[in-house]
Amino acid sequence: MILSIIAYLSIVLFVGISVYKAYQFAGMPFHGRMDLYPVPKEKGYEHGGSYYEETAWWSKPHEVSHMREIIEMLKEIIFIKKLFENQRPFWWISYALHLGIYLIMAWTILLVIGAMFELNGILVAADSSSILGLLVFYLSIVTGYIGLALAALGSGMLFLRRAFDNTLKKYTTPQEYFNLLLIFVALITGIFTWGNDLSFGYAREVTGNLVTFTPFVADGLLTLHVVLVGIMLTYIPISKMSHYVGKYFTFHKVLWDNNPNLKGSGVEQQVKNAASFRPTTSWSAPHIKPPVAPEK
Amino acid sequence: MLDQKDLRPKDMGRSDEQLIKLDNLIPLLAPYDKPGMESPLTDPKPAWKEKYCTSLDGYIGIDTLTRPKSKEEEDEFVRKFLSGLEKIFSDANNGVLQPLLLSFEYCAKCNTCSDACHIYTAAGNNELYRPIYRSEVLRKIVKKYFTTSGKLLGGFVGADIDVNWETIARLGELAYRCNLCRRCAQTCPLGLDNAILTKEIRKIFSQEMGIAPTPLHTKGTMLQIKTGSSTGLSKPAFLDTLEFLEEDTEEKFGIKLKFPVDKKGADILVLHNAGEFMAWPENPVAFAILFDAAGLNWTLSSEIMGYDSVNYGLWYDDVQAKKIATMQMKVAKDFGVKRLVVAECGHAHKASMITADRMGTDRLPVESCLPLLWDMVKSKRLILDPSKNNFPVTLHDPCNVVRQMGIVEPQRNVLKAICPQFREMTPHGVDNYCCGGGSGFAIMNSANFPEFRTQVASRVKFNQILGAFKGTMEDTSTPKYICAPCSNCKGAMRGLLEHYDATEKYNLQYGGLVELMVNALVSLKKPFLEFLE
Ligand code: SF4
Ligand code: SF4
Repeated sequence: MILSIIAYLSIVLFVGISVYKAYQFAGMPFHGRMDLYPVPKEKGYEHGGSYYEETAWWSKPHEVSHMREIIEMLKEIIFIKKLFENQRPFWWISYALHLGIYLIMAWTILLVIGAMFELNGILVAADSSSILGLLVFYLSIVTGYIGLALAALGSGMLFLRRAFDNTLKKYTTPQEYFNLLLIFVALITGIFTWGNDLSFGYAREVTGNLVTFTPFVADGLLTLHVVLVGIMLTYIPISKMSHYVGKYFTFHKVLWDNNPNLKGSGVEQQVKNAASFRPTTSWSAPHIKPPVAPEK
Repeated sequence: MLDQKDLRPKDMGRSDEQLIKLDNLIPLLAPYDKPGMESPLTDPKPAWKEKYCTSLDGYIGIDTLTRPKSKEEEDEFVRKFLSGLEKIFSDANNGVLQPLLLSFEYCAKCNTCSDACHIYTAAGNNELYRPIYRSEVLRKIVKKYFTTSGKLLGGFVGADIDVNWETIARLGELAYRCNLCRRCAQTCPLGLDNAILTKEIRKIFSQEMGIAPTPLHTKGTMLQIKTGSSTGLSKPAFLDTLEFLEEDTEEKFGIKLKFPVDKKGADILVLHNAGEFMAWPENPVAFAILFDAAGLNWTLSSEIMGYDSVNYGLWYDDVQAKKIATMQMKVAKDFGVKRLVVAECGHAHKASMITADRMGTDRLPVESCLPLLWDMVKSKRLILDPSKNNFPVTLHDPCNVVRQMGIVEPQRNVLKAICPQFREMTPHGVDNYCCGGGSGFAIMNSANFPEFRTQVASRVKFNQILGAFKGTMEDTSTPKYICAPCSNCKGAMRGLLEHYDATEKYNLQYGGLVELMVNALVSLKKPFLEFLE
């Protein structure tokens, strides 16, 4: 029961805190422009240009391709493109971790689906007569093996690289080592917990129990694993590992936001709203705050 | 003094007389690769050490940052910095809060951005100039003073820096070792921008502590707000200058030029960087010749704030930037033109079109001169003969215009059309390198700062230029022209070419885009570019 509560609670906290963070960033005051080119949504300026390449640009329609922006974002999310292009050796290990995490997410969903199948009498095994049962069985194996291996390898290598690279070492705080270590340990306990049954039948059984709040006997290792994963899921969105939230805003709302302040535009309205705001703090340099009483 | 390789962010609080010394600059390309072709870097004078903060790398960027005379002054300095630091995260700083917090919070220390930085690279991968070095120092101070985790957990979360006069003063200086070119931000997998943090440090110094380099502040924005131009050029002096240029143009080229000033009913108000009239008057002259030849209905303004497009506030002080942008816009609107065209000045482009874009509503449309110039060439409104420009030409992309505004093609289209020997630098376009003059460096000439600018900040650019002209450098009879359509970039080029004596030795020339266009005009009987005579 306790483990079920931990499992549910940590997922709710993970999603909840992440959404709350996004909400906080989204609610931040309207800011000045900081576009940085290339801006992928600029249609017709694929060389990295913008509507400013036109004379009388304000009188012409600003054509925007949301598709290109989405594709560019997906390239970042799925492949971490900028790291691939600018720092290949680091990309290998960072990507191992990230791809591993994606696969583990898929694996977790497959375990839940598998457990549901089994509860409903569909066998999830190599000798299942159901195509779906077979599919879930094999997909779970593929995502689980590769996911756990890649993520553990990635987080372990990232930790070691940080610990032994003379440059990274200088910039890494103990907390940042802790972050990687937490992921690594959570994964290693997972590998030891689930590794005994390579068909993941045990994992599916435990998942079923967790999801349905069915009491079951958990050994020390399994308990440790669930608790660690629970802590990790709650900690990630609080820490700066929540960069999956930040990244959306840095690109979409900062570097790629080049919407001009034209008459009648949404930007104009936001500028007006921002202008009516009276800050509660102010700067104190002499040229900003002229002396109240003029000198005699 | 530390070996730069061992330097860590928390060392900023050390009591050393000078943290590091630059000694490992990357080699220059041929013909500057021979020993003795470059003067060695110098040490700061002993008197400077007593007066200023030379304890970073020996250079002085902020000539108004002087050592405290008492313990009280020292404490007050630190207190003021911390109060400013707190304010950058408050509603006084709403206009950058979101981008700032993102870049402040999320750095994964993956180090992808370092290699993008020309200053870090030029200095032989010097730790001090790594883009995240200064950001990390700032983070450590914030953690130490303003976060619960920092107060409770200290070093565990990185709050392990000693904060004293030296730490803060060094950080202030370090904020002037970055050109704010934002090339590093292009490579960050998380979309973070270390230049934002650099600028925030500059802002704390100016907006809270009242400390900024004299050329940017006292002789920059303050002078501009008072007299209308950071050059101090008054209205009568401006009109005199125009008259002189008209006479000079007639004398030299037989062209009867008349600058339209405050012309009612004009369609376009052209905004020049007023520095052009003093340092490179051929540029506004060339503009006038071209705009007349293309039959545009244009004018200059002689109103205070109407004849100088610069806005140095962009580099260090948001409040000054806003004051200037607002005053400039008001003059233009009172004038009654339909649109503003910004001439060849990169930061004025960005100031008036990007930064000021969200500083008010109902603004007059502002556009760049570059598309307009390309339009004149493309539509054949100018009769041009490219063979008049038959010498090697390369193009420098001003960061503000290209990387930060996306104006990439028009200027190269013009060059491709009128310069048969045009060649690109590597890399170019949005991936260009800064000229080394960005963010105020070009006009910061106090103490030994020019040495840092020319030999470090402009170093990668100089190599790009030498690379573009490879094989033609030794042929001194052939002029080689660096086209830099931006006043500040030209300032940096001037510093470079003078320092390396490159015009004298190798016939390396520089200038804007319009000069090349006028030079190609069929109607012009003699070369517009002086070095061709
Ligand atoms: S903004 Fe430019 S100069 Fe500054 S750290 Fe980044 S790349 Fe270097
Ligand atoms: S590339 Fe981005 S995340 Fe990586 S060190 Fe630089 S600023 Fe930080």
